[in-house]
Amino acid sequence: MSTLVSPALPQAPRPAPRIALWMVLGAILGALVVMVGALFLLPPAVGWWVALAGCAGAAILAVAYAWERHNYGPLLVAPALALLFLLNIFPLMWSFGLSFFAFRANRLAPPRFVGLENYVGVLSDPVVWERLQTTALAVVLTVSLQMVVGFLLALLFEKQFPGRRYLLILVLTPMMLSFVAVGAFFRYYYEPTFGLLSQFVRIFTGQPFILLDTPAGAMAGIIFADAWMWSPFVMLLVLAGLVSVPKYLYEAAEIDRASWWRRFRTITFPYIRGLLLLALLFRTIEAFKLFDVVFLLTEGGPGTSTETIAVYVYRLAFQYFRTSQSAALAYIILFIVIVLTNLYLYFVNRRAREA
Amino acid sequence: MTGVKRNLALAGVAAVALAGGAAHAKDIVLKMAVPDWPPTRIMQDLANEKYKAPSGNNVKLEADFIPWPNYYERLAASLTSGEKKYQMAVSDSQWLGAFVEGGYYMKINQFIDNDPEWQEIFNDLHPNLVAAYSTYPHKSENYYGFPQMPDVLIVYYRSDVFCHEDEQKAYMEKYGKKLPCTGEEMDDVDWDQVRSFGEFFMRKKGEMLAGAPADDDFFGIAYQAGKAYDFNIMQVNAFIWQHGADIWDETKAPQGQAEGVVNSPEAVKALEHYLSLLQYMPPVVKTGTMDIFKQDELFREGKIAYMIQWIGFGESTISPATSKVHDKVAFAQHPGLRGADGKIIRWANIGGQPFVLTTWNSDEITQESLAFCKWWLSPEIQTEFAKRGGQSGRRSVYERPDYVTFRPWNRTWAPALDWQKDVWHVPDFFELLVQSQEEYDKAITGQQDAKTTMDNIAAFQQRLLTEAGLIE
Repeated sequence: MSTLVSPALPQAPRPAPRIALWMVLGAILGALVVMVGALFLLPPAVGWWVALAGCAGAAILAVAYAWERHNYGPLLVAPALALLFLLNIFPLMWSFGLSFFAFRANRLAPPRFVGLENYVGVLSDPVVWERLQTTALAVVLTVSLQMVVGFLLALLFEKQFPGRRYLLILVLTPMMLSFVAVGAFFRYYYEPTFGLLSQFVRIFTGQPFILLDTPAGAMAGIIFADAWMWSPFVMLLVLAGLVSVPKYLYEAAEIDRASWWRRFRTITFPYIRGLLLLALLFRTIEAFKLFDVVFLLTEGGPGTSTETIAVYVYRLAFQYFRTSQSAALAYIILFIVIVLTNLYLYFVNRRAREA
Repeated sequence: MTGVKRNLALAGVAAVALAGGAAHAKDIVLKMAVPDWPPTRIMQDLANEKYKAPSGNNVKLEADFIPWPNYYERLAASLTSGEKKYQMAVSDSQWLGAFVEGGYYMKINQFIDNDPEWQEIFNDLHPNLVAAYSTYPHKSENYYGFPQMPDVLIVYYRSDVFCHEDEQKAYMEKYGKKLPCTGEEMDDVDWDQVRSFGEFFMRKKGEMLAGAPADDDFFGIAYQAGKAYDFNIMQVNAFIWQHGADIWDETKAPQGQAEGVVNSPEAVKALEHYLSLLQYMPPVVKTGTMDIFKQDELFREGKIAYMIQWIGFGESTISPATSKVHDKVAFAQHPGLRGADGKIIRWANIGGQPFVLTTWNSDEITQESLAFCKWWLSPEIQTEFAKRGGQSGRRSVYERPDYVTFRPWNRTWAPALDWQKDVWHVPDFFELLVQSQEEYDKAITGQQDAKTTMDNIAAFQQRLLTEAGLIE
């Protein structure tokens, strides 16, 4: 369309761009040099501003470069990218750098480079391994329970029945509550003196029931609370898969007199497999970071039997102020999660190729 | 004086007054981080009502009320982030080392040394309070804080239950001793008798309690046995000191050891003693979540006969709005171990908080902060604070004859002060604290015995403190 119209319109010749690409690249490089130099050589109070000015200079040049070429797309995305960099990527890189230094945020001593010492320290710390085992146990238990319950709930809600909509809203509520509310709620629920659970058991045994007094009981309490909160999430994903199965497949299967199990295995499961894996992936990553419920319900007790790795990172970082050590541990956890994620993705892709 | 001269003089005075007024009437806000509970609320109210800065400036106290459970994290985050938000802060005494080493808390010796008024205040404060709230290294001459709310552990008990004649008779029959009823009788109680209270007052729902069937299970005693923060160590330490054992003593660093001291046979015995009384407490104690808030809740719900709790919880216990037992509660001194001479050894862990000045303030702000602290510690304001439910550490205030009439628990205050010790002030306190809490929690929840617990704690402290250079 524009090609048809444009010859008819008088158009001023575009001025030749005054800013060349090499200028922009040079400015970015210069800004980097200024930034590194300022942060390492100048006192922090001045260095920050010089570094910021360097960045701003390069950014302005880049904007002018794009503006001259009427290249507005990248300009529109730029603010979001800048924000992401400032709030996410920069702190991530900063803490990664910090993990190679000896540094405690509540001490005056400046960071001292120690190489991989923090990583060695964290990996050879028996406490870390103990917490990782606790976390692994919690992840396996809570995710399995969520998958099973979520799946069963989805099978239930796939059918139409009176009051389904209202019941669905009710079932989804736990997922929308805040962690703190759930933790506080379950703390009262399990409370041996006036808690609901204890009162209920007492009807039969006559004795107050103390769930959280043994490591196994405390773990069960945490798993139940977490599964209560997150099974609906699994249900939502599985339900989305279930409703996408074409009805005619079931009708054809019924004509062929296929058994319920065969229908499930050959029709339903292939359709929801991808979503199931997705649910598994999401829940595993989240469960690995299990913190709130543990902290509110048991504080990691009795003893340290339910203290997850996330709680330990928190203690390292904000109670012990072993800042750089906690950064190292956080990166190790990130690494584990990334490996797990990729394993899942590998399986999903392989299945997808097979299908 | 002629008319002209007089007018001139008047004009001069007026000019000086005007100029003086203009130079001084500055608006200054002192922002203070405080935990949210009655003692700090009362302070804010008093400051709003009564505080006039002696400098003539218009000084306002702006307390930032932060809930107790995450107070440490919030304050630590603010201090370490470098935002320099607070000019003052209320700080638990154990945090002094960590934040002094970080360069956040200001040393106040120079102000005390050069000011007779401050010296008078410090001489008037109970020395145990000064050691706990002001010094780092602990018990040194380096001062950092002023007492804001001093706090000690005392006994809360149900007067309706203890003084009921049926209970009195039954107890006498069973133990051949009078069941204490008045505060003075209850003061003279040792751990053996506390055990008997525990045994005696365990009642099932429906059993008779103080002349009527109990509407729910009732329990004999309660003290701290919670895993979070310092909610078991504060009570365990009382047993340790009373048994003649000790925690790692930072005043003896770097020669003082943890191994052999922390896990001495007396210390093991002390922990065994502590653990042996847990069976008379509400079942929640078995989960390691019997913290001060849980105790407080159970007591106010009327489920406990005898409880050891911070004096700072008194106000909500006697208020009809928050307590089912508001008119049935009485107070006594912390129990102890009876010595050979028949006297009770009552060592206990001090609670309460100092307030501190931060290091980044201008001289003017520092002077205003000091003036505020001086005002706070003045006898009039301390008396007013005590009248509204707080406590004063100044001898001249708590020794006033009418001090004990302000609140029913005040009679326990002065005698308690002589028996207070504090935990470590070293920067590594939080690691010491968390590890001890975890180990004690394992013992409380029955996962390991007292000996193993003390050995684990000693080994950990020996290692950590050696790494930190505090043990050689």
